[in-house]
Amino acid sequence: MNLKGDGWARMSIFGVIAVAMVAPFLSGNLYLLNILTLMLIFIIFASAWNLLAYSGQGSLGHAAFFGIGAYASTLIAAKSGLSPYFTIFLGAAVAAFIGILIGLTCVRLKEWFLAMVTFGFAIIVQTITVSLITPITGGWDGIASPRLLSPEIPGYQLLEYYSILIITIASILIIYSIMKSKIGLALSAIRENELEARAAGIDPVKFRLLAFALSAYIAGIAGALEIHHIGYITPEIFGVDLSFWPVIYVIFGGLGTLAGPVIGTIVLTIIWEGLKLLGLTFGRYIIIGVLLIIVIIFLPKGLVDLPYEIRKRLERKSH
Amino acid sequence: MDVGILLQVLFWGIYAGCIYILLATGLNLIFGVMKIVNFAHGEFLMIGAYVTATVFFFTGINPYLIILFSMLALIAIGAVVERLCFRPILGTGKLNEIFLSIGLIYIIQNGAAVIWGDKWQSVKSPYEGITVPVGPLAIPLDYIIIMVVTAGILCGLYVFLKKTKIGREMRATSQNRKGAMLVGINVERMDILSFGIGCALAAAAGTLWVVSGQVFNPYMGSIPAIKAFAIIILGGLGSLPGAIVGGLLYGIAENGAAYFFGGIWKDAISFIILIIVLIIRPTGLFGESGE
Repeated sequence: MNLKGDGWARMSIFGVIAVAMVAPFLSGNLYLLNILTLMLIFIIFASAWNLLAYSGQGSLGHAAFFGIGAYASTLIAAKSGLSPYFTIFLGAAVAAFIGILIGLTCVRLKEWFLAMVTFGFAIIVQTITVSLITPITGGWDGIASPRLLSPEIPGYQLLEYYSILIITIASILIIYSIMKSKIGLALSAIRENELEARAAGIDPVKFRLLAFALSAYIAGIAGALEIHHIGYITPEIFGVDLSFWPVIYVIFGGLGTLAGPVIGTIVLTIIWEGLKLLGLTFGRYIIIGVLLIIVIIFLPKGLVDLPYEIRKRLERKSH
Repeated sequence: MDVGILLQVLFWGIYAGCIYILLATGLNLIFGVMKIVNFAHGEFLMIGAYVTATVFFFTGINPYLIILFSMLALIAIGAVVERLCFRPILGTGKLNEIFLSIGLIYIIQNGAAVIWGDKWQSVKSPYEGITVPVGPLAIPLDYIIIMVVTAGILCGLYVFLKKTKIGREMRATSQNRKGAMLVGINVERMDILSFGIGCALAAAAGTLWVVSGQVFNPYMGSIPAIKAFAIIILGGLGSLPGAIVGGLLYGIAENGAAYFFGGIWKDAISFIILIIVLIIRPTGLFGESGE
């Protein structure tokens, strides 16, 4: 990652946080608050996916970790009576454990083999959820999940929003410190040139596995948060859509940058909800697909690169 | 265990395998020439299916004849997709191609949903209910026609690649792109042609899917396409016999799993096989070649 390259974008994160702090007061609308809450959760999810991609591993099955974290946290919270604010971290640990297992198969694979294995893995997990372990997961019908906060607390939606905002900020800070640390350096070295990384004494297998575990853990937190926020979980959570969204958000915002997932998720959420207001159903997906392809072809570094790209074009013209 | 049932499962498997063989062969051809990974390949199968159903609905002619029309239509659509989407990002890496495929999947699936709706549909074959006795089994005539048509298409492709000038140029491009350029082959034309032919093979699979009476909707293509990728990883990148053996193996394994463990395992079993193979051999069964 080019930590320097997206300087303005990283600064803009602070702006985003400031807006996020006051946003609920500006509207006071519960429908909007729900959208904002889900957006925060998807920022966490996209950032988790991005961390794995940072090590050169593009997963197409991150819904598996999202869903495993959600199911595990739900079951632990329901059986033990512990607060979901505590169990999300336990559920995410389960996701991280499974992440290491699937990572073990993936670390030696070519990048597009890895994409297929992760894609298939999400399907396998969904199949197991609705067949072998139906007694505890409720099969296709799903099960109720304990709410983050009891609806009896006045203004609980607002409290939930702010608690999730804190978790989002914490996740981004953690990812930032990972990327800036020696671990991050090792991960990008492996991504750029595995042979040279090896020559420099970096063990690619170890660091790739670490990236898998961290990414699965954070994705698991996101999944658990979403489900405890909604209050219900079904195996649909392992669906292809939920695997593709973080990819789309990150590519849109800027792959391998800290701000990319944040900016991508926010911009696409605004576009998505705007198109919904216009009454588009299938059309929304078509427009998102077209935008994605345009960004890949004309803005390969994502939206965070837009100001630099514009400046480059302008300078070229003035010469 | 009843031998009759085993044979029946085997036969279903071969029939399902025909669809996979056509998809995998097309992917192999595209991968060989362009070295790109298009996860949206199944969407071309889906368009082929809808084109077939639509033409059948309006004309009522024998749906097996529509295969020619749907293949031609998809050559054109494939050429456009190659030119607009894949050519600009050629050589920027496999991950980029995969991400672009996701955009294509969204566009094509939902475009189809806008045009044809997102409900499950099906078409009745003119030979529905006619069976041919083969040993202890009664095989639907449709299945036999599908196997013959698939074999015919593969033979045609083989002759095209081995005997015609364009076919030779295409193989040359797939073996050595720079070398092909040096001897004066227009490799960009080969790209567009191989992509178009790959799409046409997917369209043929789509037509066969529809005429055999299977249901279809705009979202049907994704999983078969990714399975077809699994097949070419198992069978060896660029290997036609590998795609055939892999396709049949997958068809049989899936139908066996569906029969013995329940239909829900149909998709999962394919990926379980893929993961087991890749754990043992990270480069695929006949790996080494390819990117």
